Amino acid sequence: MPEGSGIPSPRAQAIVGAGVLLVAAGMAFGALQITGDAGYGGVGPNFLPWLCAAVLALCGAWLIGEARTGGFREASDPGGHPKADVGAFVWVSAGLLTNAALIGTVGFILSCTLCYVLAVQGLRRASGQPQAGAPGTWARDVLTGALISAPVFWAFTQFLAINLPGLTETGWL
Amino acid sequence: MEIFDALLAGFATAATPVNLLWALVGCALGTAVGVLPGLGPAVTVAMLLPITAKVEITASMIFFAGIYYGAMYGGSTTSILLNTPGETASMVTAMEGNKMAKSGRAGAALATAAIGSFVAGTIATVVVTLFAPGVAEFAVKLGPPEYFMLMVLAFTTVSAVLGQSTLRGMTALFIGLALGCVGMDQITGAARYTAGQMELLDGIDIVLVAVGLFAVAEVLYCALYEGRVSETRNRMGRVHMTRRDWRRSWPAWLRATAIGTPFGCIPAGGTEIPTFLSYATEKKLAKGEDKAEFGTTGAIEGVAGPEAANNATVTAAMIPLLTLGIPTSNTTAVLLGAFQNYGINPGPQLFSSSGALVWALIASLYIGNVMLLVLNLPMVGLWVKLLKIPRPQLYAGILIFATVGAYGMRQSAFDLFLLYGIGVLGVVMRRFDFPTAPVVVGMILGPLAEAQMRNAVAMGEGSWSIFLQRPMSLTLVVIVVLVLVVPRWLARRRRM
Repeated sequence: MPEGSGIPSPRAQAIVGAGVLLVAAGMAFGALQITGDAGYGGVGPNFLPWLCAAVLALCGAWLIGEARTGGFREASDPGGHPKADVGAFVWVSAGLLTNAALIGTVGFILSCTLCYVLAVQGLRRASGQPQAGAPGTWARDVLTGALISAPVFWAFTQFLAINLPGLTETGWL
Repeated sequence: MEIFDALLAGFATAATPVNLLWALVGCALGTAVGVLPGLGPAVTVAMLLPITAKVEITASMIFFAGIYYGAMYGGSTTSILLNTPGETASMVTAMEGNKMAKSGRAGAALATAAIGSFVAGTIATVVVTLFAPGVAEFAVKLGPPEYFMLMVLAFTTVSAVLGQSTLRGMTALFIGLALGCVGMDQITGAARYTAGQMELLDGIDIVLVAVGLFAVAEVLYCALYEGRVSETRNRMGRVHMTRRDWRRSWPAWLRATAIGTPFGCIPAGGTEIPTFLSYATEKKLAKGEDKAEFGTTGAIEGVAGPEAANNATVTAAMIPLLTLGIPTSNTTAVLLGAFQNYGINPGPQLFSSSGALVWALIASLYIGNVMLLVLNLPMVGLWVKLLKIPRPQLYAGILIFATVGAYGMRQSAFDLFLLYGIGVLGVVMRRFDFPTAPVVVGMILGPLAEAQMRNAVAMGEGSWSIFLQRPMSLTLVVIVVLVLVVPRWLARRRRM
C-alpha cells in the first residue's frame, strides 16, 4: 500500500470479508425460517436466499483470503484522506438519526432543519472551518436549513400532494 | 411507415405545453445535478420517485428522462472545469478536457462536449426509434428460460466485467440480490427476512437503496474522508470552436456514436468500456501535432469522442429497458422502479400495451436533446455558477431531499433509519472499492429473475436442462460463459 493512500489496510479488509460472512450466516438463518412449498426441482421461495447465503459465504471467505495474502486485488484508491474524521461523521450521523426519530413528532420542516444544521456543522468541521461553532454560523445554518426545508415541504405537499408530516394541521408548517 | 406514424403521435403527446414544461424542468434539473458534485441522475430520479403518486405517467417519465440526459450533459461541465470528475463516465472526458481547460481552451472543450452529446444522443435516438419496436416484436417470442438467461447476462456483465475485481463485483451483486429477497415472495406469498416488521413485508424500496447508497453515502464519505480535499477550478473561456476544432471533432463524434450505440443496445450496460474505447481509438487515429496534444495541452478529439460515446450508450440503453425490461445502469434501474410504481413492467408487451406512452417518451428524447443543446451552449455560464455553492451547505441540503425521497414513499420513520444503514453500507463499499451498480441492478432485477427462473424450471417439469434445450437460451448460456472466460483468457495471454 503506497504512503498516504486511501486503500484500507489488509486488517480492515479482512474485517469487511468477515462482515460478508456474517451477512451470509444471517441469510442462511433467515432461509431456514422461510415456509412454503419447494415446487418443481426444489425451487421454492427459499432457493434464492440459500443461493445468496452460499455465494456470499464463498465471497466472504475469498475476501478474507485476499486480505491475508497482500490485500484486495486491484483495489483502486477511493480518494480522500487516509484517516477518517470520526467527529464529523458523528455530527452528520446525529443529524440523520435525529431526523428519523423526530420527523413524525415535530414535522418535516423542523426535523429537516435540525438534520441540516447538525450535518452542515459536521461538514464545516471536517473542512476545517474555524468559525463553525460561532453563534453567527449556527444562526445562519438554522436559517438556511429552514429556508430549504420549508419551500421543499410546501412544493411537495401543496403541489405534488406527497404526504409529508407537518407540525400543525394547516399544511403550511 | 408504421413507426413514423407512431412517432408523430408521440410528438403530438410530448409537445403539449404541460409535457414540454416537464421536459424543460427535467432537462434543467438534470443539467444542474450533473454539474453539482455529489449528485447523479440515479439518485435525483430516486429522490423524486414519490411524485409518481400524483403526476400522470407520461409527464413523469418525460421528466425523469430529461433528468437522465441532462445529467450527462452537465457532467461534462464539471469534469472539464474541476479537477475532480464526478462519475466514471466523465472520467475519460476529464483526462483531456481538464488539460484543454488548463491551457485556456475550456470553451472549445465545453462546446465539443455539448454538440457531440447532441449529435450522438440524436443519432442514438433514431436507432432507438427504428430498432426498439423490432426488438420488442422479437422479445415477445422469448419464454421464461430465455428471459432468465438474459438477466443472468446482465448480472454477469454488470458485476464481473465492468468493475476492477470480479470477486467484489459478485459480492455486491449478491448483496443486491439478498436485499431483493426481503419481503413477500412473489409466487407463494411467503414472508422472507421481515423479522416481524410490517414495514418490510412490501420489501425494501429501490428509492431507499439508491438514495442511501449514493446520496447519504456520499455525504457521510465526504464528512469522513473528503472534508479537507481542495478543488481547483479552471477558468472558463468563450464557448466557441474554431474551424480546426470542428474539423477534428465531427469524425470523433460519429466514430464514438458508432462505438457507444451497440454497447447501450446490449443488456450489458456501463459507459466505461465505450468511453475508454472511444478515447483509445481517437488517440490511435490522431497524427502529428494533434497526437502531440494528447496528455499535454489536451486534444479536442479526446473530449469529443468519449462524450459522444457516453451519450450514445446512455440513449441506446433505453432499448433493453423498454423492450426487455432489463436495466443496465443505476439510472435505468431506478427508471424501471418508476414504471413499476405505476403498475407497469417494461418488456416486450410495453409497445403494444402502452404504445402511446413509449412513443411519447421516445419523442421527448428528440425534444430533450434540442433543449439540452440550448441549455448547455449559451447558458453554460449560469450552470458553472452552481459550482460556487460551498460543499458543506450543498451536501447538508442534499440530505433534506433524501428525506423527501425516502419518507415520501411510505411515510415511515423506519425507512429513514434503514436509509442511514444503507448509507453506511455505501461508505464501506466505496472505501473498499466495491462497485455499487450491481447492488441496485441485483436488487431490482433479482425478484424478476427469480420469478422467471422458477417459471422456467416449472416449464421443464423440474428439470434444469430446460436452459440447454432451447436454442436461444443455450446461445445465451454460451454468451454468459464467453463473457466470463474470454476477458480472463485475454488478460492471461497478455501477461504471458
